[in-house]
Amino acid sequence: MAVYTVFNVAVLVVLGLIARFTDKNLVEKEASGYTTQNLVMVAVLAAIAGVLNTGIGNLWYLANTSLGPLGGALIQGMFMWAYILAAFIVRKPGVALAFGIIEGSVEVLLGNAAGIGTLGWGISQGLAIEAVLLICGYSRFGLITAILAGVASSQFGTLWSSVFYGWDPAYSKDVWIAVPVNMISGAVFSGLLGYVLAERLAKTGLLRSSRKK
Amino acid sequence: MSQSNFLSFKERNSTLNGTYPFIKLIWVFLVAIGLFIFQTPISGGIMFLLVLTLALGAGKISPVEVFRSGIIVFGLGFLLMLFHFFINPGEVVWSLGFLTITDYGLVIGPVFFFRLSTIVLSSFVLIWTTDTRDLMTSMVKAGMPYRYAYTIFLALRFLPLIQKEVEAVQSAHSIRGRAAGSSFAHRFKLWQRYVFTILINGLRKAEVTADALECRGFGYSEKRTYVKDVHFKTADLILPVITVLILAGLIYMEQTSWKALLGL
Repeated sequence: MAVYTVFNVAVLVVLGLIARFTDKNLVEKEASGYTTQNLVMVAVLAAIAGVLNTGIGNLWYLANTSLGPLGGALIQGMFMWAYILAAFIVRKPGVALAFGIIEGSVEVLLGNAAGIGTLGWGISQGLAIEAVLLICGYSRFGLITAILAGVASSQFGTLWSSVFYGWDPAYSKDVWIAVPVNMISGAVFSGLLGYVLAERLAKTGLLRSSRKK
Repeated sequence: MSQSNFLSFKERNSTLNGTYPFIKLIWVFLVAIGLFIFQTPISGGIMFLLVLTLALGAGKISPVEVFRSGIIVFGLGFLLMLFHFFINPGEVVWSLGFLTITDYGLVIGPVFFFRLSTIVLSSFVLIWTTDTRDLMTSMVKAGMPYRYAYTIFLALRFLPLIQKEVEAVQSAHSIRGRAAGSSFAHRFKLWQRYVFTILINGLRKAEVTADALECRGFGYSEKRTYVKDVHFKTADLILPVITVLILAGLIYMEQTSWKALLGL
């Protein structure tokens, strides 16, 4: 497990550095501290994502418990689009992690099939996005950063899955084989989808936060 | 009746309903930590029975509620146990083609069944016996910043509104085109439209709500008052204290005899 943890942390750092040096979409850093509007937006997004993720979660749990790491890898990335969306709308340090905890809490209280264990995914996936954005100085919010943050969160979330479900990477080769699948899933279903939704929301001009820019 | 009908808070005249909400949350975390430390199915099995007894006795949850809410989780736990039978290394005790069951898998499989089932069952006990508003109030009293506790509460407050929004959008789409009996691709497109519409409407509501909250001076004063207050009693500590003692006893038994008994 130690090797797998080090591998996952290294993946985060590498993805963060790639995002920092390739994403040219540089924006001004937002003032720190959450406004009431930020908090309410996070709450609403967490409620929407909590409902959707609890539904998809049952399918994912079934795939993971019966087929192991490879079973759930294909849909592993389907849970973090809202994390990316929240981070890209609010653009402040800690939003992805806070979102993960709040969305996880909503899922726990909705009766998610992993119980309090859901918070583990919320924290690990939120932390991964924070790590990528931190390396980018919270000032790069382009497609590349979104995709790489999606990849990072999807892969880093498997660390908690391994602990929770007892997949020991030392003898379970599936954990390693699933890595590229997790990453592709995270890139498409979390990074790309989250970015497209953020862009489409901004284009509508309905949100005050997008009108400012 | 769906799972969610059974899995919700109900006012009951039970000991667990009267226990301080934050203490129950700590108890859930304690149970989870214990289940992660356990290495034998004996400890997991005992803990599962204790949590089940607590739910039925001190929580006055009916066996039907436990069964209907937990059936999916116990099923998933069973599948996870089967997966560990086959995946873990050890002496082969049964094989059919490429499928082999090992002795270590047979011991460790139930550990994961009990881990998943007990952690989720304890989380369900929290849901059955705790009003979310009381939980948030107790968390604020324990030192959690009010604005953040309120964010979680607000997310839960928005859930029924979102549910109604989904129904309204579905009805609007049904009136304008065929929704039932259409292809998967068409349904996927519809789903995309639902999500986007719900997102837009939800976030617009969020802006209005934020304005309304600020107009009312949300977060202005550090001192908080509550319409429905919750009060901590020293007797509430009995639950986590007994749990810690039981966990310590089970871990001790594991290390001194059960692990050797199971050949671990």
